[in-house]
Amino acid sequence: MSDETPARTPAERAEILERHLHDHGHVHHDDVDAAVAAAEAAADDGPSPALGARVVARAWADADFRHRLLTDPVATIGEYQLQTVPIAVLENTASVHNVVVCTLCSCYPSGLLGNPPTWYKSFEYRSRVVREPRAVLAEFGVDVDPDVELRVHDSTAEQRYLVLPLRPAGTEDWDERRLAGLVTRNSMIGTGLALPP
Amino acid sequence: MHDLGGMHGFGRVLVEEDEPVFHAPWEGRVWRLSGTVLRATTIDRFRYTIEQMPPAEYLAASYYERWLWAIERLAAEQGLLDGSDRPARIGRPSPPIPTWAGRFARGDRVRVANPVTTGHTRVPRYLRRHVGRVERVACAWPNPGESAATGAHGEPELVYTVAFDAAELFGPTADHTVTADLCESDLEEP
Repeated sequence: MSDETPARTPAERAEILERHLHDHGHVHHDDVDAAVAAAEAAADDGPSPALGARVVARAWADADFRHRLLTDPVATIGEYQLQTVPIAVLENTASVHNVVVCTLCSCYPSGLLGNPPTWYKSFEYRSRVVREPRAVLAEFGVDVDPDVELRVHDSTAEQRYLVLPLRPAGTEDWDERRLAGLVTRNSMIGTGLALPP
Repeated sequence: MHDLGGMHGFGRVLVEEDEPVFHAPWEGRVWRLSGTVLRATTIDRFRYTIEQMPPAEYLAASYYERWLWAIERLAAEQGLLDGSDRPARIGRPSPPIPTWAGRFARGDRVRVANPVTTGHTRVPRYLRRHVGRVERVACAWPNPGESAATGAHGEPELVYTVAFDAAELFGPTADHTVTADLCESDLEEP
């Protein structure tokens, strides 16, 4: 259906596909409307960077939770949002910085962070970050010290990855809610750091 | 065309500040319709279908255009465009966390197989034939090639997180580590 000429636009093709699926009872237009609206609203209690930030902030503030997050991530993240595929948590330390990619498609911890940003799915990021991560991170404004081990994780199977960024100095007496405001989406992918206080 | 890791020629990563979830209304609708179409097949068959795009089309298409290209074909394959008969929803693979021991243990050196195939594989080209070390068992999951070919999930196999020195992959100026999650059947003794 997409190979006819003159070529239809993606919007036209999507409309045709939806109409066929609707007319044969496979999907209802209202369900599509509702799902798109929910994804765009990105409520804090559904998969979104804000939800990921709450998990990270609690791991910073609560040593027991941090331990559980690192040792049993599927169940521990599942306390916030059910994880339907395995997920691992990569802990950044003073000597290790982690960054996540999917060179083959766009695998991303969507069950926690929502849909991935466009740059994560770009040919530029997918091709380059496994080969020259320091250069790519520099473009994001992240300069990783040469003494810090840089680990790039290619999501080639069904396991997903969440980076646990370093807690910024000077936040020792901050509570979880305040800490969550420092956690950016990129810091949970590894192309950013948590914001300074 | 999908296997991009390590390729040269792509430039700076462009970052759009405060980007919307969808850039046009049709993108959101394709995203949701994909859920409908993928209920009765595997994510690997979806990936494999996208991999059939002619390379020049793949590179010229946006992300959700590639999804659209695939679900148009998968919807036709499942007969969803011809009638109301609905193929059965496939089950989730189980268990995702393995309960058995595998051929390899943490610290073992392993060589990545070179699975030249016209089918679907999740072994990136840049890792084939290279030697890495097993870090841990990542998960258990049905073989992606079989899931793509059949549209159903078979028996799970072990998936290992394997670490590679980037200097082994990309030359001596690379000083980082790359990890990938690889099926037991794609790993050999070095």
